Amino acid sequence: MAKIVILGAGIAGHVAASHLRRKLPKEHEVVVVSPNSNYQWIPSNIWVGIGRMKPKDILFPLAPLYAKKHIDFKQAKAVSFHPEGDQQEAKPYVVAEYVAGNEKGTTEKVTYDYLINATGPKLNFEATEGLSPGKNKAHSVCTYIHADEAWNALSDLIQQMKQGKKAKILIGTGHAKSTCQGAAFEYILNVEQELRRHKVRDMAKITWISNEYHLGDFGMDGMLLSYGSNIMKSSEMVGMVFEDRGISWILGAGVHKVEDGLAHYENLEGEQKQESFDFAMLIPSFSGHGFKAYDKMGNDITDRLFRGFMIVDADYTPKPYEEWSVQDWPETYQNPSYPNIFAPGIAFAPPHSISKPRKSKNGTDITPAPPRTGMPSGITAKLVADNIIEMIKHSDNELHHKGSMGNMGAACIASAGFGMTKGSGISITTFPIVPDFKKYPDTHGRKLGKTFGAIGLAGHWLKLALHYAFLYKAKMKPFWWLIPE
Amino acid sequence: MTRRISKYKRFVMMNPTIQFFKFIYLSIKVLVIVAGGHGGTRNA
Ligand SMILES: Cc1cc2nc3c(=O)[nH]c(=O)nc-3n(C[C@H](O)[C@H](O)[C@H](O)COP(=O)(O)OP(=O)(O)OC[C@H]3O[C@@H](n4cnc5c(N)ncnc54)[C@H](O)[C@@H]3O)c2cc1C
Repeated sequence: MAKIVILGAGIAGHVAASHLRRKLPKEHEVVVVSPNSNYQWIPSNIWVGIGRMKPKDILFPLAPLYAKKHIDFKQAKAVSFHPEGDQQEAKPYVVAEYVAGNEKGTTEKVTYDYLINATGPKLNFEATEGLSPGKNKAHSVCTYIHADEAWNALSDLIQQMKQGKKAKILIGTGHAKSTCQGAAFEYILNVEQELRRHKVRDMAKITWISNEYHLGDFGMDGMLLSYGSNIMKSSEMVGMVFEDRGISWILGAGVHKVEDGLAHYENLEGEQKQESFDFAMLIPSFSGHGFKAYDKMGNDITDRLFRGFMIVDADYTPKPYEEWSVQDWPETYQNPSYPNIFAPGIAFAPPHSISKPRKSKNGTDITPAPPRTGMPSGITAKLVADNIIEMIKHSDNELHHKGSMGNMGAACIASAGFGMTKGSGISITTFPIVPDFKKYPDTHGRKLGKTFGAIGLAGHWLKLALHYAFLYKAKMKPFWWLIPE
Repeated sequence: MTRRISKYKRFVMMNPTIQFFKFIYLSIKVLVIVAGGHGGTRNA
């Protein structure tokens, strides 16, 4: 009998838990440890942030589902890792602290045979002075609670605009090394469309602020896309959409401080600048959770498990951009020191960024961190689950399931406005996610045809269809496993 | 605001009938890319 403990019930953790439970006989234990009582479909937070969906539309409680499916659920957060056990406990364990119910505040040693760390990112608002959701007129859409707060503030501002107030709206990244530009991109287009719907568009100046060097970089070094019968750079496509929507932009901006309605940033020229706003949505930097790890004797071995995020089978040797290769990226998400520990989704430490690193004239690193979107998070979680299943069933320690982001496609259906007839979406797919300049030297490291963009109403329908399909899948309704990650 | 998308292009982008077929096309295309599989890179 094996016990698999999964930390986190986001996209990666929940995908891993559901596949493990479906494929493993009941004598094996599947345990999920996660502080949030709900599963949330994060991509739809964008629509919560413009008031077109309510938080209840994008979440469901985990406890009843897990009880029904024989998955043990502990509403707790992992605090420390003990991959060799300790003097009293022979088995490896994590210390988890309960965050709700009668046990709130108490800790438990949760032992395991296999551990999946799917704790995603820490939303590191503290890394930017004054940036905190709902403070200084700056907001976030990273959780449904943040998105709901953002909508309350935005709807107040819309009311003021209806009374004649001219407003400045700033949306983008809130740190020199933020990632998730795609989410901010969706939000700015949705906000712009909502202002038109409320007939106050001409009262607002909308500005994109980002740590990207080019528009459409998205932390992926930009893309060369097939667009209809043309070939277009993602920078050209995003530029076209922004100009068409009257959105101006500031690039190469490392926001380092937010005051009431004022964002301070440094640009690549090394200049210190400010941008004022009445409403902002700025994506914070993402970091690891600051977990500690200890060996059997209680010595600190954090650096064997973590470098910010969790260490996996990547090549972390520092090298210049020109020498980066797809082979640097992990394939199995297994920790090299402890082969029974895995980290799919955002929880693994990437070897380096995907976008070309850039420093300001003052030496400040202003480079988007590499994104790990929903699709790769789900795919990597499923392959980790499949490898663990084989290890359990066949006592086979060779990992057969592999999925490098350098050999994996992703679809990013960016909402550009909500509405069954007035909505829009920008559908972008890329293959591979991490550009392979050796394989595809003439097309910026990606395969044209599999890397394409399309704009229009169909994109909105697709995004909405994915919302319902993935919530159906997450609820583990009949034949849920037929829906791919 | 600078018009960067022509009236004709905008019509195509927002016409429900055309977009219905585009929806089917995009769904299949996305599915093919996702279901197209993934793998390692080191022994490729
Ligand atoms: C606003 C927004 C929009 C997005 N839109 C898209 C999109 O359209 N398409 C797309 O593909 N991707 C999108 N993404 C990215 C996508 O949401 C992420 O790729 C995905 O959520 C990553 O999954 P994950 O499981 O690794 O992390 P998460 O989903 O963040 O899950 C982490 C889990 O770990 C739990 N946890 C945290 N700390 C602990 C702890 N100490 N112990 C135990 N558990 C812990 C959390 O509660 C959570 O359940 C978007 C992201 C944002 C913020």
